[in-house]
Amino acid sequence: MLRLYRSLLFLYPHSYRCVYAGEMLSVLAEVDLEASRGNRWARIAWRAREVGGLLSGAFTEHARQLTGFYRTPVLFPRRSRMRSEFRFPKATGILMTLILVAVIMAIEKAKAISASLPPTSTPVGPIQPEHLSTVTSFLVILALALSAAAIGWLVVYALRRSGLQRLSDVRPGAAAGGNKPAA
Amino acid sequence: MEELLANSPVTEPVLLILLSLAERPRHGYAILQDTQEITAGRVRLSTGTLYGALTRLLDDGWIERYESEDQSRGKQSYRLTAAGRRNLQAEVSRLKQLARVAGLRVARKET
Repeated sequence: MLRLYRSLLFLYPHSYRCVYAGEMLSVLAEVDLEASRGNRWARIAWRAREVGGLLSGAFTEHARQLTGFYRTPVLFPRRSRMRSEFRFPKATGILMTLILVAVIMAIEKAKAISASLPPTSTPVGPIQPEHLSTVTSFLVILALALSAAAIGWLVVYALRRSGLQRLSDVRPGAAAGGNKPAA
Repeated sequence: MEELLANSPVTEPVLLILLSLAERPRHGYAILQDTQEITAGRVRLSTGTLYGALTRLLDDGWIERYESEDQSRGKQSYRLTAAGRRNLQAEVSRLKQLARVAGLRVARKET
């Protein structure tokens, strides 16, 4: 196992390895000794966590050397952190899937109707306004307006479910404690 | 962006490491054991996570290397600096204030 840990340490940047590799390997050896006292599954979980930690650490160190600063959100588990970024609500995903299914079904239906019509020698041109009565036109426009309103309402509902509207309540600097340097 | 990250609250692993070093200087494995003990086994830091945090804390001047007897066996000890202790105290005050407000709100909701 130590051989695997040692090879994973090679994923770290050279400069980092020079300073910390020996020390880390010493800690990993002690951790592995402790892990070997547990049962099989505990041992596997323990070692998997160490491998994951080393991979994540190597990635973070390379990123830090490239960008020049630590990307804390990537570095650590965030049990005590609050995330303010927009999260796509599940309701919107379901809604969009339903709309997509409806559109596909409409296209398929149109294809079926088109195939069932007898072939004509003269191609069917665009529908001319004189073919529609005033009442029919009004009903079509009304249906389109209602559909647009329903879609708009669903989008607003989905955004409200995401908590986006609460951003307007956030007052910068209102949090207690003030600023301070942090790790 | 850098300023934004610098002013954010410390993460749980970092807080645990600082709390561990607040008592006395410790080397890597001792920090891992102590963080596990502080959290009653709930948090078990990996070595990669530990050294990522230690590197950052060293760079920020919150901790420093400490000469200890164990060093001869390849163990490097670390201890809090004055700045690190100050920042830890500020973080603990922040958490206390948050816990106080949380306690009040939860109690109000229950009544």
